[in-house]
Amino acid sequence: MKFVLKLSILSSILILSIGCGDETTEPSGDYKAVITNVSNDVILKTYEDLFNKTESFVTTLNTLYISPTGLNLDAARQAWRDARVPWEQSEGFLFGPVDQKGIDPSIDSWPVNQPDLEAVLNSPNALTKTYIDGLDGTLKGFHTLEFLLFGPTGNKDISTFTPRQIEYLKACAESLHGATQELYFSWTPEQQNYVDNLLKAGEPGNSVYPSQKSVLQEFVNGMISIADEVANGKINDPLVQQNVSFEESRFSANSKQDFADNIRSIRNAYLGTFNTSSGLGLSSVISANNVALDVKVRQHIDAAINAIEAIPGTFTTAIFNDKSSVEYAQEQVRALQAVLESEVLPLISNL
Amino acid sequence: MRVLILFCAISLMGFIGCGPDEPYNADDIEDIDLGGQTSVEGAFVQIFQQPAANLNAEQIAMHFKGDVAFGDLFVTAPSEVNSGLGPIFNQNSCENCHVSNGKSPFPSSQGDLRGMLLRLSIPGADVHGEPLNVPGFGGQLQTKAVFGKSPEATLTWQEIEEIRQYVDGDEVKLYRYQMDIINPYIPFPSNVMRSIRMAPLVVGLGLLEAIRESDILANADVNDLNQDGISGKPNRVWNYRTQQFELGRFGWKAGQPNLLQQTAAAYNQDMGITNPYFAVESSLNQIQGDGLGDEPEIDEQTLKTATFYAQSLAVPKRRNATDAEVMLGRKIFYNIKCTDCHRPKFVTGQHEYDFLSNQTIFPYTDLLLHDMGPDLADNRPEYEANGFEWRTAPLWGIGLTKLVGGHSNYLHDGRAKSLEEAIMWHGGEAETSRERFRSLSKAERTSLIRFLESL
Repeated sequence: MKFVLKLSILSSILILSIGCGDETTEPSGDYKAVITNVSNDVILKTYEDLFNKTESFVTTLNTLYISPTGLNLDAARQAWRDARVPWEQSEGFLFGPVDQKGIDPSIDSWPVNQPDLEAVLNSPNALTKTYIDGLDGTLKGFHTLEFLLFGPTGNKDISTFTPRQIEYLKACAESLHGATQELYFSWTPEQQNYVDNLLKAGEPGNSVYPSQKSVLQEFVNGMISIADEVANGKINDPLVQQNVSFEESRFSANSKQDFADNIRSIRNAYLGTFNTSSGLGLSSVISANNVALDVKVRQHIDAAINAIEAIPGTFTTAIFNDKSSVEYAQEQVRALQAVLESEVLPLISNL
Repeated sequence: MRVLILFCAISLMGFIGCGPDEPYNADDIEDIDLGGQTSVEGAFVQIFQQPAANLNAEQIAMHFKGDVAFGDLFVTAPSEVNSGLGPIFNQNSCENCHVSNGKSPFPSSQGDLRGMLLRLSIPGADVHGEPLNVPGFGGQLQTKAVFGKSPEATLTWQEIEEIRQYVDGDEVKLYRYQMDIINPYIPFPSNVMRSIRMAPLVVGLGLLEAIRESDILANADVNDLNQDGISGKPNRVWNYRTQQFELGRFGWKAGQPNLLQQTAAAYNQDMGITNPYFAVESSLNQIQGDGLGDEPEIDEQTLKTATFYAQSLAVPKRRNATDAEVMLGRKIFYNIKCTDCHRPKFVTGQHEYDFLSNQTIFPYTDLLLHDMGPDLADNRPEYEANGFEWRTAPLWGIGLTKLVGGHSNYLHDGRAKSLEEAIMWHGGEAETSRERFRSLSKAERTSLIRFLESL
């Protein structure tokens, strides 16, 4: 008995000291190359692009502030559209610091709090970056900037801008740039290095991803979320309610571009591409297991983008005049969401 | 001596072998599917945002509609979309407190409290036994306001550190917060009782709603007749729709009877959004009312849709459940009687949504109130719950807190910075179990934590 007891203590100590419980079930394949490419060459590059484009946007507003001309207004509006692209293309991977640090509300809150915005503009408050930073999300970020830049009907003339509106625009753009910097710096290896959690998935000491498979599941869920948001939120609400107030980027008439870029976000992560660069994406994992499914996913992605871009005119007019083309685009995005949910996710989860 | 015996007992208990080929007891892993058939597998940041695995196509569509409602941002009235925020509020959407549906972190700055709020009351109770509102401040401190109105006050805090010792001599630092209210919009009364609350995990709530009342009451032992030191007291709270007292299940003190009322109260108090359930502004009878008469600001369908989202989220499955260290930790958890309050298992009854009915679930809570001792006491009663009592918090999903939220802040006020600290704060009815934990070896304590991390 004494011997058994000693043995039991010994074995307990052994169990605990050698830490055999730490083993996690690794997927059979090695997905490090895919994860590395999507993390470094899609996610990081997208955030870097967003950071750079919002910086250019700030520059155009500084110019507008000094010289409020129609040409400078056009340049600022174009810079807003340019900065919008990488943001929309980041919405297929809205996980990590963007949520955990509460950055998203500072970048993309919608709708705009128009009564409060009006009140702030009519107040004597100094419109500095610090002041805007302290406001709620619905008074800053892309949509507040859009509302001020384009006006309620989308064609605001430079002669109607008040000095306070231009001051607000300038400070608000600086605040947006600050938020994109926080986001980019959260991820980049030179700063807070969130990307390391993905690159070192499954390695000891990783408190986020216990396996490479869990990162792949993260990617797929990010894609499903944005497909859902485009189909069942962004397209559905204005379409079903037949009310343009529910349309996100109606002041700039940028909605179709937004939606298409959201689906491109899915494509970038799926294929491992960003602008001209290309590498391994989730596609290689799917095709290694099910070639037909990979082809199907690519087709659904392309069909969704094509259907969105094929909507005639602006989204604002199309929800009344070309309902069937909007409904068709919605169906295509839903079909993409369905294949990601019911075929891609199970395949990844069963790796 | 007691320590030695306990150590031997646990060591014996822990004699379960090691290595991937070792057999394990089926009992040790019967709880892998913590949320029954709603459960999903995975460990990634969006894991608390998954629809329950057993929804039908119609329910999935409804879930995604609810997801949209849960993310809707409200703005100042009058507005074309999502009108009616405030005029005083805590956050402007469900999602801004319930970030990624996980437990809220303790805030890093006064400027952004995230999912933290302060409940207020003065001594006494109303006709339903509910805490009495503070004149001019109501039952909750709204720390934000629309432009032109004032936040009711600003919250500040100081961290206080203390050191406790394990029996083996190891030390653990415990932190708590001394909260202060500054810059009140009108003078703040002196006799106010306060209670800090953090936004809890959202998943699994529908299943908790589906547990039969009789099964919860079966564990109640208000006067501790069995003399095990554990009381287990049901809260009885007012249902504003049925106009009767019902068993409280939700909230840190079980102050809400069901999820619809919980959600309606959150719209009203946290966002200042009036609804068919609570149709008067949180600022009613205060000088900061909006005086618009636009009530209700959301309709019954929106309320139900947002509630359905919470009801239909999946509970993540356990991870690493068959690891030897985790299995040992689980045995210790049972052995030192954490399970007296953190009841592992229930079988749900009938719920209006079929996917929540007849599910074998492992929430690790009894949904009853327990005296947790003076250290955790908020000294603010809520219905039957006195100032020392808290509802046993469910433990499912707790092991994913850090992964999802990037933090490990636990307990009602987010004071604990680790699971270990959270355990060490337990007192009152949990003191005996905590003392047993304090007597464990470091390796055994670690095993127990590994088990919690597997939930």
